[in-house]
Parts: sequence; structure tokens; C-alpha cells
Amino acid sequence: MNQIDRPITNPIVVLREESDDWAILFNPDTANAVGINPVGVAVWKMIDGKRRIKDIVLEIKASFKNASESAFEEISSFVDTLAKHNYVGYELKTTTIVE
Amino acid sequence: MLMNTPRTVDIEVTTHCNLRCRYCYFFNNPAVDYRELPTDEWLKFFDELGSLGVMNVVLAGGEPFIRDDLPILLEGIIRNRMRFSFLSNGTLIDDKIADFIAGTHRCEYIQVSVDGSCAKIHDSCRGKGSFARAIRGIRTLQRHRINVAVRVTIHRNNVTDLENIAHFLLEELNIPSFGTNSAGYLGTCRLNAEDVMLNIQERQLAMTTLLHLAEKYPGRISATAGPLYEGKEWRRMEDARTQGAPIFSNGGRLTGCGCPSNKITVRADGAIIPCAMLAHDELGRINQDSLEGIWKKSPALTQLRNRHTIPLNKFKFCADCSYIPYCTGNCPGLAYTITGEINHPSPDACLRRFSEAGGIMS
Ligand code: SF4
Ligand code: SF4
Repeated sequence: MNQIDRPITNPIVVLREESDDWAILFNPDTANAVGINPVGVAVWKMIDGKRRIKDIVLEIKASFKNASESAFEEISSFVDTLAKHNYVGYELKTTTIVE
Repeated sequence: MLMNTPRTVDIEVTTHCNLRCRYCYFFNNPAVDYRELPTDEWLKFFDELGSLGVMNVVLAGGEPFIRDDLPILLEGIIRNRMRFSFLSNGTLIDDKIADFIAGTHRCEYIQVSVDGSCAKIHDSCRGKGSFARAIRGIRTLQRHRINVAVRVTIHRNNVTDLENIAHFLLEELNIPSFGTNSAGYLGTCRLNAEDVMLNIQERQLAMTTLLHLAEKYPGRISATAGPLYEGKEWRRMEDARTQGAPIFSNGGRLTGCGCPSNKITVRADGAIIPCAMLAHDELGRINQDSLEGIWKKSPALTQLRNRHTIPLNKFKFCADCSYIPYCTGNCPGLAYTITGEINHPSPDACLRRFSEAGGIMS
């Protein structure tokens, strides 16, 4: 088995859009919650198991005019943090070993 | 800024209860239609809550554990990615339901009412046998590692038992902490007010004892209303007044309640109301009116949220009161039951009235 680079959201996590500039990701199983800004919300909505991080970055740059030069690093680290806390995961690809 | 939807929804899931407590706020409210909804109405409503990103459902009653479809209701909450809590008298909790709840991993807490350190005192207002069964319920929850919250309602029969209650709950039952309030002038309590509600001397005794106990058990006794809360707040107000301190950030206006900006309540018959203390104030009906629409646009709710703009010096009740810069006017629910007006300070939590009646701050 090896990991691929297309993150996918944990289906149990709820995106709660509290207002135009503030949202919460809430895991009802653990009661953990984290606050995110509008870029975070847009990233979250693109984490669908199909897009790679670099695809997400391109789309964010296209829709947020003031996205910074370091968007790739920022978004990668954001997704890594979410992964560390089980808000997102990576699908596993199965490799069949033939003897 | 108002959040798009409530984080928490309180649900009075039943109109039934196996007890008849003498200071119950729930029963004997002439404004309430004591009728309850079938399972599928609640399940449909939970789907709506899930779609709105509501995080917590608090199940109350009556006594929520009286519903035999409880596991089905909880599954509806779980399916919709929410957590839940209970407000209960504890007497109907057995291993079977505790095991089910523990297995969901979604229970925030179960609040059980304990009003005495022994059966004689607890049962004096809640009925014979209720103490033993409530404590058995708590021990069952503890065995299943479910978070237990205890609420002590202070009244005439237990005001001299507070030290024993604290010792019993914190040292014998090993409850991490407990909350306190006092019998309030609502529902059945109005009919028994003389016998159960604290008089000025008893209120003073409750305040002094609880302030002392809160020091003895730091962080383990809390209150958002009632004698402990008043003891702390009134002391702060009195100090500010004698020192001529600047106005408090929440002082001088009807800021006494932030609930309508965080949560909303549903009565057992499906009427949406701002909170259990304002059960007459029907904002709409579940599964007929959009909860999001009510949350954002209900004129009554908006008015309640704007209550904080109303200055206390506009009320005859507060005329010439030197506490105005430090006073919040307190609970609109109690203000309504006592005065018939929501937009009025609550006479129940009025420091000047307490002092004029002979009450002394310790
Ligand atoms: S206070 Fe609670 S337990 Fe007591 S009668 Fe009312 S609903 Fe039942
Ligand atoms: S009269 Fe009572 S409610 Fe009014 S400001 Fe004074 S203490 Fe507060």
C-alpha cells in the first residue's frame, strides 16, 4: 500500500460557516473544533480526494486575488495540520504483489 | 456579529416526568401546551439541524429518559453529526441506556439534579425515593465513564445543608464539579413559592456559605444564576459603587442574557421559543418554519437580542439607583414572569431590592 497525494476530508467532520469571515471545523466524535478563515473554507471545500494540493493552490490563486506567493507552502502546511488532527486523510492505493 | 445558525439547540423532548418536584419550572406554566411530538417529527427536525451545522443538542423535559424511543432519537442526532447532553433527574438511568450512550462517544454530559446530602432533604421537594434513585443513576453513569454534571437547586429545605452537599458530591461521589442555582419564580414553584423559595435571610445564608465553599473547593462549584452568582456579582457591584469605579462594560443596560445569540429552544409540542424561561414566546414551529429563517429574521428574537441597548435609567424601577453603572438587569425570563415584561430588569436579582429588604453583603 502506498499513500497518494490527493487529500480527502474526514466525512464525520462538519464545516460550520458561522459568518462571512469565520468558520469552524467540528469533529463530533472527539468534540475537537478548529476555526478557519474564508481561504481555509475554500480549501476545505476542494479537499475531495480528487484534487492534488497543487491543483487546490492553483484554484485558490485564481479565486483569491491577494493569495500570497507562498500559497503552496501555506496550503500544504494547513492540510498537513488538518491531517495531523484527523480532519483530513489520504486515500490508500492498494498494490497487488504477485509472487 | 450574529452567527448564521445556533450552535446549540435545547429540546424539551417530553412533557412527561416520573417526579413532581415542588419547585419545578417546567410544569404548571399556563402558556405551555403540554403535548409531545412523535419520533419521526424529531428525526426530521434533527436532519434540519444537521444541515445547519448545529453542534450540540441538549435534551430536557420533563424527564428525557422517560421516552422509550430515546435510542432512536439519539441515533438521529448522531447520524446528523451532532453531540448531545441531557438535563435529567437521574432516576430512570439504568445500565442498558448508559451502555448505549457510552457507546455513541457523542455525549457531552448528563446533568443530574441532586438537592441534598441525604434522602430526607433531597426527597423533601422531589418525592420519596428520588434521592436513592438519582444517586444510583449517577453511579451508573460513572461506571460507564459518562461525564456527569450535577446541579443543586437551593431552596428553604436544603439551605442549611450546603456544606454537607458539597462534601457528599465532591468528596464521596467524586463529582469533578457541580453547579448551583435556586428555586425560581416559574411554573410549579410559583404555586409553592412561600414554602420553597429562599427569603432574604436564607438567601444571605446561601450566598455566604457558597462563597466560603467556592474558596474551599476552588473551581469546583459554579453558578450562572442564584446565590453563588449573586454573591460574587453583587460584591463586585458593591465594591465598584463604594470606590466610584467607572461603568462596567456590560453595565447600565439590559445586558443580562446572551443566550439568544448562541442557542434556541424547542418546546415538547414543537414550538420554537427563545429559551425555557420564555416558554410563552412562540417564534414558530419545527418542520413548518425554517429554523434558520427564525434564527436570522424573527422580530421577537431580534428584539430580545437588542435588549442590551435599553438603558436601566429609563425604568422607574431603577430610578436613582446608585448601582446602575454596574448592573445588567439580569434574566429576561424572570423579569417576564414577575413583571409581565421582557424588557424590564428582573426584580428577583435586584441588589437594591435585596439591600432594602434587609439583606447584607457578606
Ligand atoms: S424539576 Fe425536573 S424532575 Fe422535577 S418535576 Fe420538573 S421536570 Fe420533573
Ligand atoms: S434598581 Fe436593581 S435592577 Fe435597577 S439598577 Fe438598581 S440594582 Fe439594578
